Formats: sequence, C-alpha cells, structure tokens
Amino acid sequence: MAQVRESFSRFRRTPAFTGFVLFTFALTLNVILQGPANFFSPNSLGILFSSNMPFLIIVIAQGVLLMSGTMDISIGIQLALVNVVTIMTVQEWGLSFVMGSLFGVAAAIVASVVLWVLISVIRLPDLLAGFAMTYVIRGVNVFIMNIPQGTVARPFWQAYSSLLLGFIPASIIALAVVLAIWAYLKRTPFGTHVYAVGANPQNAFAAGISPVKVQLQAFMIKGLFTGIAGICLTLMTASGNPLQAEDWGLRSLAAAIIGGFTFGGWGTIACAVFGAGFLVMIQNSVYFLFNWLANVIPGLMVTSFWHNFIADSIIFLGLLTTIITVRGQREALRINLEKKYMKRGESIA
Amino acid sequence: MFETKEMGKRFDAVVALNGASLKAYPGEIRALLGSNGSGKSTMIKILAGVYGPDSGEISVDGKVVSIGSGTASRQHGIATAFQELSLIPTMSVLDNLMLGSEPKGKFGMVDRAEARQKVQALLDRFGIDCDMDAYIQTLMPSTQTMLEVAKAVSQKPRLLLLDEVTAPLYHDEIQVLFRIVRELKADGVSIIYVTHRMSEIFELCDQVTIMRSGETVKEASTNEIDLDEIVFHMTGQYPEAHAEKEVAGDSGEPTGREVLLDVRNLAIFPSVWDVNMKAYKGEIIGIAGLQGQGQPEFIRSLLGAAQITGGSVQFDGKKLDFKSPVDAVNGGVGFVSGDRKREAVFPVRSISENISAGKIASGQLGAYMTGKFIKEFSSGAVEKYNIKIGRLENPASSLSGGNQQKLVIARWIAMNPTLLLLDDPTKGVDVHSRREIHKILQECAAGGMTVIISSSEYEELFGIADRIYVFFEGRVSDMLAGARKTDELLVAAMMGMTGQNKDGEAM
Amino acid sequence: MHNSAVLRPITNLFGKVSGFANRNPTRMAIILGLGLYAFTVFQVPGAFSVQAISTLFMMTLLLSFASAGQTMVLIGGGMDFTVGAVMSVAAMITTSIMRGEDGRFLQAFAVCMLLGAAVGFINGVCTTKVGLPALVVTLAIGNVVTRMSYLVTAGTPVGRVGPAFASSVIYRHFGFIPSLALYALILFPLVFYILYRSRFGRQLYLVGNNPEAARLCGINVNKIKTISYMISGMLSAFTGMLGVGMLQASRNQMFDAYAYQSLIAVVVGGTSFAGGVGTYGGTIAGSMVMVMLNNMLTALNLSQRVREITLGLVLVLILVMYNRRKGVRQ
Repeated sequence: MAQVRESFSRFRRTPAFTGFVLFTFALTLNVILQGPANFFSPNSLGILFSSNMPFLIIVIAQGVLLMSGTMDISIGIQLALVNVVTIMTVQEWGLSFVMGSLFGVAAAIVASVVLWVLISVIRLPDLLAGFAMTYVIRGVNVFIMNIPQGTVARPFWQAYSSLLLGFIPASIIALAVVLAIWAYLKRTPFGTHVYAVGANPQNAFAAGISPVKVQLQAFMIKGLFTGIAGICLTLMTASGNPLQAEDWGLRSLAAAIIGGFTFGGWGTIACAVFGAGFLVMIQNSVYFLFNWLANVIPGLMVTSFWHNFIADSIIFLGLLTTIITVRGQREALRINLEKKYMKRGESIA
Repeated sequence: MFETKEMGKRFDAVVALNGASLKAYPGEIRALLGSNGSGKSTMIKILAGVYGPDSGEISVDGKVVSIGSGTASRQHGIATAFQELSLIPTMSVLDNLMLGSEPKGKFGMVDRAEARQKVQALLDRFGIDCDMDAYIQTLMPSTQTMLEVAKAVSQKPRLLLLDEVTAPLYHDEIQVLFRIVRELKADGVSIIYVTHRMSEIFELCDQVTIMRSGETVKEASTNEIDLDEIVFHMTGQYPEAHAEKEVAGDSGEPTGREVLLDVRNLAIFPSVWDVNMKAYKGEIIGIAGLQGQGQPEFIRSLLGAAQITGGSVQFDGKKLDFKSPVDAVNGGVGFVSGDRKREAVFPVRSISENISAGKIASGQLGAYMTGKFIKEFSSGAVEKYNIKIGRLENPASSLSGGNQQKLVIARWIAMNPTLLLLDDPTKGVDVHSRREIHKILQECAAGGMTVIISSSEYEELFGIADRIYVFFEGRVSDMLAGARKTDELLVAAMMGMTGQNKDGEAM
Repeated sequence: MHNSAVLRPITNLFGKVSGFANRNPTRMAIILGLGLYAFTVFQVPGAFSVQAISTLFMMTLLLSFASAGQTMVLIGGGMDFTVGAVMSVAAMITTSIMRGEDGRFLQAFAVCMLLGAAVGFINGVCTTKVGLPALVVTLAIGNVVTRMSYLVTAGTPVGRVGPAFASSVIYRHFGFIPSLALYALILFPLVFYILYRSRFGRQLYLVGNNPEAARLCGINVNKIKTISYMISGMLSAFTGMLGVGMLQASRNQMFDAYAYQSLIAVVVGGTSFAGGVGTYGGTIAGSMVMVMLNNMLTALNLSQRVREITLGLVLVLILVMYNRRKGVRQ
C-alpha cells in the first residue's frame, strides 16, 4: 500500500500528471456519454483515430519545440503545405503518392528550418516570427494550389481509414512511427540535451552543448512529424486545400500546455498525447452530452454554438488545472525540507 | 601542476583580483581561504572558464593556456563544483550527472544501462540516498550540493575545484565528501578547497593559500600554521577603516531611547531557527555572518517577503503583521537589496524614476504624477544627500554598481522610513561609494531612523554599526557592542566558535 | 560571419537602420509608414486622394485605439490576445442593444465596458495568480468569449448602430477629417494620462522592467498587471463599438484580426516584449505602419498569394530591425 502511494506521489510530480488526470476524466466522460459499446466498437474507434491523428501528431511536434524552449504557431498552415505539395506533385508531375508524400515531408522540414533561422539564429521573438511565417506559407500554398482540388488514389485513403485485422485502426501506424522515432531520439544524447537547452541555455552551453544546434535538431524533427501529420490529413480528406488547419497552430500550443508543457524544458511526449486527447475527448463528450440531453428533455434544441462554447470553456478550465503539477513539485520539495528538519532535530538531540 | 600568476580582474570600479596567484600540485589538497570579497570565488570562476581574467597567466604543467569557456576548462582537466550549482532543476538526477558526457551505445543512442550503472556507482560512492529519476528541484539543498560535487568528480578531473560546498551539507555528508577527496588525492588529483569552516582546514587540507583584497597574502602548510595566524591573515589590520564611535556601555543597548523592533525567538523555516534582537530608534544594527546563515531570510521576514514560522516580532509597539512588502512600505519600512540586478534596480528606467520608485509605489493609483514631479523629487533627494550620479534622465543601467547602489539607497532615505533594512548593500561597491553610503546612513540614524544593515564585509560593520548581531546557522551566535567589537570575537562568532558551538563545527 | 565585399555595404546599412530604429522607434515607424505610402502612391497614383488619405487616417486611429491597451499590457510584461475577440463581441453587443436607436447608446456602452473589464480581470488573474503563460491563456479566454458571442447571436448578429452614433464615427468634417478623430481627442489624452501622468502608469513601467524589484519596493505587482489587462479589455470593447459604428452592422469575429494587428503595431512602435519600455506615441506610429502596409498590398492590386507572402516577408524584415533577443553568450 505504501508502495502504491509512493509511486503515485512520484507520478504526481511528473509533468504528465495533470494531463493524465484531465485526459482520463474526458475519456471516461466520453465513454459514458457515448455508451461503452458504441465507443469501443472497432468502427467508431477507427474514425476517432483516423480523424484526430493529424492533430495528435502536430501536438507532439509542438511539444518537441517546447522542450527546446521555443514554439511554432505556423505549424497548422504547414499541414496544409504538406497537403498541397503532396497532392500537386502527384497531380502535376505524375509522381506516385508515396513519392509525393516524401516531397510533402521535405517541404515541412524546409519550412521548419527557415523558422529555425529566424528564431534561433536571427533570434526574433518566436511568436511573431511564427505569425509572419503563417502569411508566407499561406501565400506559398496558394501559389502551389490556387483553389481546393485534387484527389488521392482510392487504395491509399481506403487503407488509411481501414481496420487492420478487423479492429486496429490503420491510422495508428502513423502514431506508432512517430512514437518509435521519438523513442529512438529520446535515447540519444539529443533526448536530454533538448531539455537542458530549453530549461537553461547558459548551463547547457557551459556543459558543452550548443543551444542553436540542438534547436535546429528540434525544428527538423518537428518538421518531420508535421510532414507525417500532413500525410495523415491528406489521406483523411483525400483532397487538397491550401487554406486549412491554420488555427491548429495555436490550438496545438494550448493542447501542449494543458497536457503539462511549460515554455522551456518541462514536459514529455506523454503530455502532448494527453493534452491532445483531452481536447478531442472533450469535443466528443460535449457532442454526446447534448445528444443525450436532447433525448432526455423533449423539445430541447441545441445548436453547435453550445457545443463549441462548452468545449472551449472546459479547455480554459483545463488550463487552470495545470497549476496542480506546480503544486506537486512544491509539495515534494516541502516533504524533503521537512525530512531535513527532522534530520537536523535528531542530530541536535 | 596548475598555476595562476599575477591575476587581475575588475568588475566596474571594483577590483576583485589584484595580482593574486595560486598553485595546485598533484596529490595535494589546498585550502583557499579569505574573507568575503577577498577574490577567492573570482579565482575559482576564472579557472572554471566562467570569467575571463583581465591580466595574468594560467599555466598547466608549465605551458601557458587560456581558458575561454567551460568546455575549455574541462579539456584542461579542470572540474568545478559551484556554490550556486550548475544543475538543471527540471531535469532528473541521472540526466544531470551525465549531461554532456553521455556514454555512447549502439546506433548513436546513449547506453542507458551504462549511464545508470555509472550514476548508481557515483551515488553509492557519495552515499547519496536519492532516486536517480527524481527531478533535481524536488531534492533538498544538501543532496543537490552532493550531486554537484559528484558531477564534478565524475569528469575524472586532474584539478578539482570545490567552492564552499560544505555550507549546506550535514555532518555525515561532509565525512563522505572528505573520504572521497582523500581518495582523489591518493590518485594524484589536485584539489582546491574553498571553505569558511576553520576546523575543516586542519582536518582535511595539506596546504593553505590565504587571499585578502584580491591579493595572495600567505601560503603555508597546515602543519606550520595555526588558527590564530590564519584569522590574522584573513582579516589583517585596517586602522583607517575604523571610524571611531563612542562606546555606549558594555551591553551596548542605548539608554533613554524607545525600542522600535523587538524580535523574540523568530523562526523562518527552514533557514532561521531562533533569533532574538532588539533595535532602538536611531540605532544602526549590524548583522554579520558567513553567507547563507539566515540573514537574508531574517531581513526579508521584517519586510513581509518571507513567512515567519515561529516566535514574535514587535514593531513600533505593535505586533508586526506585514503580509507583503506593500504593507511593510506603507508601515514605514524600506528595503535595500545587495542583489541590485534582481531585486533593486530598474535598469531601463531613468535614474530619476529609480530614485522615486518608493514614492511611486505608495499612494493612490490614479493620482496625478508628472515626469516633472519625479524629476524634482529625485533631484531634491540627490541634492540633500549630495549624491553624485549622472544625468537624471539617463537609464539606471548607465551607472556603475556603486552609483546604482547609491540610487537605491537614495530611493529609500527620500521616503524617510522609520526602519531601513539593508541586505549586503555594499556588495561589489567601490570604496569611495561605500564611504558615502556609510555617511548617509549615519546621518539618517542621527535623524532618528533605525537602520538594520547586513553585510558580508565585517570591517564595514565595525565602522558604522552600534551593535553587531552575528548569525550562525540560523541563530544569533554572539552580539558585539562597545569594546567587544573586535576582529577576533567577530571571526570566532562567524565561525560558530562561541556559545553552543565551541568547536566551530557544523552540527 | 564572413561577409563578402558585396554584402558588407548592405549589412552595414542595415545595421545603421536597425540602430536608428532601436534608438528612435517612433520616428522610424513614421518614416516607414510614410515611405510605404509614398511607394504606394508612386506605383498607383490613384492612391493619393483626399478620400483615400481620410480613410487611412480613420483606419490608423481605429488600430491605435485597439492597440492602446495592448501597449499597456506589454509594458507591464504581459500580452493580451483577447483584443480581437473583445472588439468583435462589443460590436455584436452594440448592434443588438442599439438596434438602430441612438437612445440606447449608454446601455450598450455600459454592457461593453462591463464585458471588457470582466475579460481583462480574468486575463489578469490567470496570468498573475495562476501563473499561466499570457499567450496561451488569453488566447483560450478569447476563444471562450468568441464562442459566447456565437451562442448569444445564434450565429447571426442582429441590429444596427444608431444613425447619430454612426455619423459620430464616419462623418467627415470639411469633407475629409473623420469624426472618429473627435474620439481621439478624448482617448489619446486619457491614454497619455494613464501612461505618463498617473501613479499607475509609473508603477506599470517599473513592474514591467523588474517585477521582483517592484514588489520589494512595495508595488502590488499582481494588481497593477491585472488593472492593465482590465484597461486593455475596456479599451478594446470601446474600440469595437467605434469599429461597428464605422461599418454599421456587426458579424461574428469581425475584428479578430486586431489581436495580431495590435500586437505588431505595438512592437513596431518600439514597445519591447521584455516589458518596461514603450510609448503610446510609438504605438500610434506603429498603427500607421500596419495600415499603410495593408493599404499598399491592397492598392498594388496584387494577387492574394503575392500579398500574403509580401506581408510575411515585410514583417520579418521589420522584426529583424527591431526586436532581436540577446544571445546566450554575452
């Protein structure tokens, strides 16, 4: 029992704790409101994963940047960039979808490196640099594709929304790839250097780590993940649209913060997953809640405006709860200080 | 061997090093001693690559080298455990200890097993009882310090610099540290050991180098030198610094004056344990002590910026009940911090705004307050106390450290508080400015203001304080007044060699 | 690091311009704004007319009103992303309360002020007491406010502003001075008073420059910051009213772009992200730069895509001149 309590209190101190609690709360709510049978049916799980995969992955990408002490609010429009590059290289140059996707990923990496130059090398404020980049990329997107158009070959998008072995959503493969890449990176020196640079660039520099270089790596990884997310988006919509997903830049940031990230050196990939999951589950829950209410209370008419209002209010409240993690850290420090007090008391006696 | 010769280093107007030298031979533990401000920390930081020296040369094995960065320092085989710690609080113990020197495994990955093994071995060797996955910020200060030392030792240095690492440590941890330092010595490592604790020198060190005012004044073997001689070399004789003050009787408490502040059994968890103090109106109270003995917390508690956890404080006949500095300032308390950059100066704002900050802080928010008013107010203060500082509209950052400090003091005396608190106000301030500051404080006290001044440089307290309370480990170890205001008694009290701690050992 | 002989004069010139911009941000912004306009007129002579100048004047005034609170918040070391949302909601409230009748102006005004103050208060508490990053939390609050307006209007705001109120904004005295300028006669002195002539303004600069020193000086840092957010909220709400007075009818999210526009106008005007530095005069000049930039991009009749890329690149260029952070090594 004491052991369970100990490991719980240790978990409470990790960055992902509030994110986990919020996610669990939202998930439970969603399952109850949707009905476990419906929620866990392979089809609905498949749709849940396939339609939210792009967002989940860009929150992870945003998280990598937050670890290194910066951020990218143009990440949303970069998804559209991947989308239009992929579609148009296939349509205009006659490439295969796979080759087109590679071009799409490359475009996201190039955009990320450009932003790295602005933020890490020229040292512009990351928020405003990202804002300026949003305009540039939006313009480039329209250059590449002036109006929504194009298609993805049927086998590809069908594969994306299919169920492997009849119950595993195929879109999970994208998440698995991202997590596998991260699992590898986490085990390289980059995995710790990124935190050192995010938390205290001076001390990191003193330890022989180049903050600018580490941020370049972080931006490139973010670019790669954004590319993967963009391919998911392309497979999901099976068409091209140069002006989509723009507001995901700020949304991804909010999700990451709710999940437990702070600006610089604090937060794990689990935070990103929980934060994104919380946003998605709350959206769903509110939808099902109003469905349920409409059944219970005859004549209740609820517009989608109510959904959005309640969902965004809960997201705001979710942000407020991140203070719990901070409290957990303070608590741990207090416990240790009290230990010290006792130790001192003993030695005096 | 490592050697520094003729080292010079200035910070603004303050000379930190003035031709100091230091030698470190293999297989030797050398104590580097000196009072606060003697330049020993600067010397350590130059060797660690944190500061660049203005003059002098550093040689390793007879070859002159330059140490331009922390990386360069490490390449020369130097590792440093800093007093202020170089650990990253939001990272785990494991990651901190391996940062920048992760063991390489397959496919460019860090060999986690080896890293854990290495860290575990280090933790075992240092007897540190902590989870290697715990975040540094959740560990207690003594553990953090042990980890800082462990991190330095793990770099397998040829020269190990330990900058006052024992201050936050407990008895058993100190024993572990000594054991390891002796092991390193046996392996031929040079160790430079900075400490304030006299007993440690004779227990651990082979040689001592004593610095004073940026110069190296004595080198000796611990066999040839005794404690009295060390204290003599550390404190020296500065007759001109002793501005004569009349002796007000042995207890030193003035008669016929009102008590302004009465502190009884004050405790501030976890740094102050039991402090008793009385301050009368018009008195200058000095607070002496080594760094980190609870003085800053004590002063901040009077300002409502640190939470009192025990005891009581009477201020001006009433129970002191300041919830924040806002209350304290309204209650007639002023505070001058020695940490100018963080706590006192508004660098991009003008000199006049800086001087008027106290005036700006108190009163109706909507009140009419023009730039002209601020300028007049500040020029009034400048004239009254004859403070010479550049043009009033220049930013405060254009001033030297000494002038910035005068600025902050002018800010408060212009408010004419009943109690003025100063926390190490002359840190990094040149001699000339310091003298002016003392003059101003004495004038204020003559006008009835009570001044409580904490200082890391005790010569200055002798000069201006009526009575000196000496802090040691969160308690008052002695109170010096009148004829008892001597170097010897003060140094003894600072080292805890009075009252309950005769042996000078941390509990 | 190694500039070629060809590049050196360019980088030297850029360094000089950048130095001037940092020393005299207001003057630089005025030069920049007028330069942009001159370039526009040079390319498109039709852009030079009494009508056009009058409109540009009006747009500049509106943006400078919207940026006033943002200036204060940034000086205090925060950031307010609710400016756009509050403006839009205030516009919605104004039309739906007034419904074309001037007599209900005061009601609309009171509700808008209340809303602005409430949003600002929440912003302030969340950034100071709860300690959340200003960018994220004000954004989230702005979203809630926007959603609320959709909820209240069911997607389509109703009503119009009263005719007298509308003409108090858009009437052009002597044919070219927009009536909006009369509001400037009230608002500018008010903002200047708050920033430069009141104890609050003085405290705000100190808080933004060094919050810890301000606290130890006896300034209630959280209170000052919260008040700055509340002022920003109220000024945004009032600007929203004026904005809808100009356009007569409201629609949801009509002024959302002002969140970023105001932020950039403030930065171009020389207010630093680090806090403690900035002038409202600079912000007014910065607002002119933004308006002139938008005007140029419209007047040049560029395609949407060229316009956006140009806007992005010009912003980068302006940022490089102004707001570079310090490096790790010093």
